[in-house]
Amino acid sequence: MAFNDKQRVELFRTLVRAMALDRMMMRLIRAGRLVGFYHEGGIALAPGVAAGFFLAKDDIMCPHYRAHGVAHMLSKGVDVKPYIAEHLGRTGGCCKGRSSFHASFPAHHIFGSSGNIGANFPVSVGYGFAAKQKSLGQIVMNCSGDGSYGSGRAHEALLMCANWKLPVIFWCEANGMAQHSSMDKLFPTPNISSLAAGYGIPSQIVDGQDLYACADAAQLAIAHVREGNGPIFVECKTLRAQEHSVGGVNYAGKTPRDPDLMRRWKDERNPETLAAAALVRQGLLAQKDVDDMRGAAESETDEIERYCERQPKALPPIEELLAAVYAQEPGAMAS
Amino acid sequence: MKPDRELTLSEAIREAYVEEMRRDERVFLIGTSIQAPTFPHTKGLADEFGEGRVLDTPISEPGMTGCAMGAALEGLRPVVDYMYAGFAYCAGSEVFLQAGQYHFLHGSQHPLPMVMVGTCGVGRRVANEHATLPYGALIHHPGLKVCMPSTPYDAKGLMKAAIRDDNPVFFLWHTSMMMQKGPVPNEDYIVPLGVADIKRSGSDLTILASGLQVGNALKVADKLAREVSIEVIDPRSFEPFDRDTLMRSLEKTHRLVIVDEDFERGGFAAEVMAQVMEHGYDLLDAPVKRVCHPHFPVPGGYIDSYTMPTPERIEAAAREALGA
Repeated sequence: MAFNDKQRVELFRTLVRAMALDRMMMRLIRAGRLVGFYHEGGIALAPGVAAGFFLAKDDIMCPHYRAHGVAHMLSKGVDVKPYIAEHLGRTGGCCKGRSSFHASFPAHHIFGSSGNIGANFPVSVGYGFAAKQKSLGQIVMNCSGDGSYGSGRAHEALLMCANWKLPVIFWCEANGMAQHSSMDKLFPTPNISSLAAGYGIPSQIVDGQDLYACADAAQLAIAHVREGNGPIFVECKTLRAQEHSVGGVNYAGKTPRDPDLMRRWKDERNPETLAAAALVRQGLLAQKDVDDMRGAAESETDEIERYCERQPKALPPIEELLAAVYAQEPGAMAS
Repeated sequence: MKPDRELTLSEAIREAYVEEMRRDERVFLIGTSIQAPTFPHTKGLADEFGEGRVLDTPISEPGMTGCAMGAALEGLRPVVDYMYAGFAYCAGSEVFLQAGQYHFLHGSQHPLPMVMVGTCGVGRRVANEHATLPYGALIHHPGLKVCMPSTPYDAKGLMKAAIRDDNPVFFLWHTSMMMQKGPVPNEDYIVPLGVADIKRSGSDLTILASGLQVGNALKVADKLAREVSIEVIDPRSFEPFDRDTLMRSLEKTHRLVIVDEDFERGGFAAEVMAQVMEHGYDLLDAPVKRVCHPHFPVPGGYIDSYTMPTPERIEAAAREALGA
């Protein structure tokens, strides 16, 4: 393991913050304060925290939509306030209130998203190609769930990244569900990462409830692609202990999912309590430190809520929107 | 312009690629088998610029389109070539919903400088995907610029403008015009997007036509020259559309025929008619006529020789518009 005790604590702190923000988003949507939808992260946020944690600022990331990628962005060092404000349709939203749920942080090389599952794959090929072409050592962290591998775009991206040896990590947060369908019914093999073998891409399966197993895998994967070895596939086996999208059904096909099982997951497989217990056991943190971190994370969510509510709703005039369709061309046409 | 040099339309596009790739190392080409291409416009480019800037992809239209988007977001300037523009429909989400709309939806923070290139055009007996002209569908979606040349001069100038533009541009060219020759100057020039060209001046009737249909419109204008003075305008860009040039023409002629090889329903011709109604109703002395592909699928076989706009159909529409 190549990360130090300080990083172990920081990983944990990021997970605590991410899960507090996830709860905040649940409070907001239940209070009718989000303009759009929300896909709860619940106990599935350790992979996202690990995915962003070891990246450099100019590494490119496609966050996964689970918990709307907040865990991913937090751990990459993004100030997520404008992203939350976007969900509240505010003027200070990262997309000026025009998208409701898209992440746009160009300075952090997070270049937005799409409403299509699987849209991350082709653009990740382009990010990887540009990174290779520019030779500045950038890599691409392409995060998604297992369901997105039903898209043909995933196949195309695996193929092109493998063929061109692009520095792209296929980071799969596999919760075994695709919307209201079980992956058992949709895929012929038990592990989504088995797809990688057909493209000659190395792969690894890790316990997605174990923050430090995910972090280990992320660090190894980042080193692998940064050294020019081409893409790598990491499957983090995680859990979806709630419905796909807030307010939707929680079925697998025609069968309701077992609420007792999901309760048990929340009790026994919560990555935050598992990591906290490990840190206390190892003497890296006292219980009081853990409690303080949790308190600080809750205060942070209060502050973010206030930040968002202070801003006016984004209701720009039509003329402003019409003028925003095309990018201005600063002198590009001069010659 | 130096009239002593003539290029084919595909040579003109190729020359635009060469000059822009020499001028700007961020420019690269990506598509299926473009190193040894079916069409001549990318022939030999990998020899000068290498396989790293003339990329052969698998047959993966969403992959190559998204790759171009991602590379553009990371600062490169890609040109993605679909061979036939009808193949771009495979990448429907990227082409219609993402590329053009990315900048707006992300708070004007992500310019997406990329060019999409494809040939199109009815009349080669191969039907549907190898023929369909997608510009009606393309201009329906905000954020894309869409152009199609009718001469080698315009082809080179439009392509250079498209590559230098900070927005996604879909550059269409007509499959039947690849080997058509015309004068192309040696000097660097662009044909700005959104500027129409009056291909022939006239005073009695305006024909608006694009691509291959410009030639057909000019044939009709020639044929009827002793009876009537016809002005032929090539919009060159469907979006942005140079309405001012059309309106100035209608101030002279008061009569309009639109030739549009794309499907009739909800297409470019319909859009121009709507704009003329909104902005130039008082200029009109007769109902606007349109000559489009009839509203059935582009067929293959011998049928397509009489389903596409022909000089005969254009002449008939012109006579109707003139009340003759």
